[in-house]
Amino acid sequence: MHIPDGFIPYWQCAIYYVILIIALYFASRWARNNLDEKRIPLMAVLAAGIFAIMSMNLPIPFGTSGHMVGGTLVAIVFLAPEAAILVFTVVLLIQALLFGDGGITALGANVLNMAIIGGGVGLLTFKGLKNFIGKYPAIGIGAWLATFISAEFCAIEMIIAGKFPLIIGLTSMGILHAFIGIIEAVLTVIVIYVLEKYRPDLLAWNRKRKSNELVI
Amino acid sequence: MNINEALDLDALSSQNSIVHNLEGRIKLIAVLVIIVFTVYSNQLLVPVVMEIFLLIMIFLANLSFINSFKRIALLLPFGGFIILFQPFIHPGAIIWQSSVSWLHITDLGLNWAILLAARLIVSLTAIVLLSSTSPVQEIVQSFRKLGMPKDLAMILSIMVRFLFVFIDELSAIRTAQKSRNFNIHSKLTPYKWRIKQVGYTIGMMFLKAFEKGENVYFSMISRCFSDNSQLYSSKKNINLSDYSYLALIIILMAILQVTVMFFNQDLGYLGIVLYS
Repeated sequence: MHIPDGFIPYWQCAIYYVILIIALYFASRWARNNLDEKRIPLMAVLAAGIFAIMSMNLPIPFGTSGHMVGGTLVAIVFLAPEAAILVFTVVLLIQALLFGDGGITALGANVLNMAIIGGGVGLLTFKGLKNFIGKYPAIGIGAWLATFISAEFCAIEMIIAGKFPLIIGLTSMGILHAFIGIIEAVLTVIVIYVLEKYRPDLLAWNRKRKSNELVI
Repeated sequence: MNINEALDLDALSSQNSIVHNLEGRIKLIAVLVIIVFTVYSNQLLVPVVMEIFLLIMIFLANLSFINSFKRIALLLPFGGFIILFQPFIHPGAIIWQSSVSWLHITDLGLNWAILLAARLIVSLTAIVLLSSTSPVQEIVQSFRKLGMPKDLAMILSIMVRFLFVFIDELSAIRTAQKSRNFNIHSKLTPYKWRIKQVGYTIGMMFLKAFEKGENVYFSMISRCFSDNSQLYSSKKNINLSDYSYLALIIILMAILQVTVMFFNQDLGYLGIVLYS
């Protein structure tokens, strides 16, 4: 899903960069208001962890392999898509500059797909469904939907750029990421389960509840 | 992306050569300028000449051509997947027709496929050159010196310091799993079980990341870290050879641009001028 350099026309790249700058402004404001000075080391080390997690190749049915993205994971842990934006901007920048994984000119588009849409869709789905179907199924559906919709957005961006046929582009990216999304969903659920079991204080919903109890 | 690749890169980028010794900011600007200039050009001449220039730089940096090409080849799949569609989706003169009426290759489509492949190869070669001749910290420091917002620069700087710690951490976990005969890709164990183990591994990595983040924070505040803290940057002056390198690239691009404008009709694969 990492769009490389040279596939998106420059005026479209400029639009995605403007979206990235606006998103970074709001993400920085959120971090200042919610994480104090702890935000910098926490986000930095988390970004390094996400980078390592993304480097793990996972087996996917049909003989291919892929890796976890983690946009939904970060957004759900902090209950804020802004966290995913901050983490993924630095992760994708380093991936592009060191490993050529995703383009420098396409950085705005890649952050939009994986962090803004991925984190946002995952978190909104989780928040919307958790009271109806339970916490873990909502996390799973959120992560799956985030992967699927991010991939479709990536396809739409390539279609707008004139580099992807409409039907085949949407279908091929959709089918492939529907499978990858299942793995992303299972892994996101397991990771949240592990966090809830061993360090519940790290999850934003537990922190909020705790602070309420203290107030009462 | 391979985690061993990151460790190899660190060793590669610490070598000594004309290109390695250039100032970090100059190398970063040069690569960004080459990528932007190449990917927004519609004439095949531009990527071909820029690729030759980058290959000369790789030679001067004493880097292995085989290893560089291997790295580029590993990064081609997603871009290659999109390129595969190009000959079939652009309108133009049909140069091959299948038995199915809608499946045909056009000259303009073929041009786009070749141009996109050339752009992709140049941008990946530029990244391979940058990452093989500049240590990660040097790249990050260059971003800071070029005016990256403080918070983002700080996150980036601390992130790359811990990148290798986590890569080591993950390698240790994998070695421990391997010593117990665990293989993610082995079909001898049920798929569900393997995914569950991977989930636990990622969960542990996430926990370690958080805990390390907290420890880093505590050690930073114990050393008087605050919102007003500045990161240390080593001073390295830009000298004549750095300016010359950048000037060479700009002159090369100017010559290319003039040539493309002057001989517009004669350039491009199959004699067709491409428009975006």
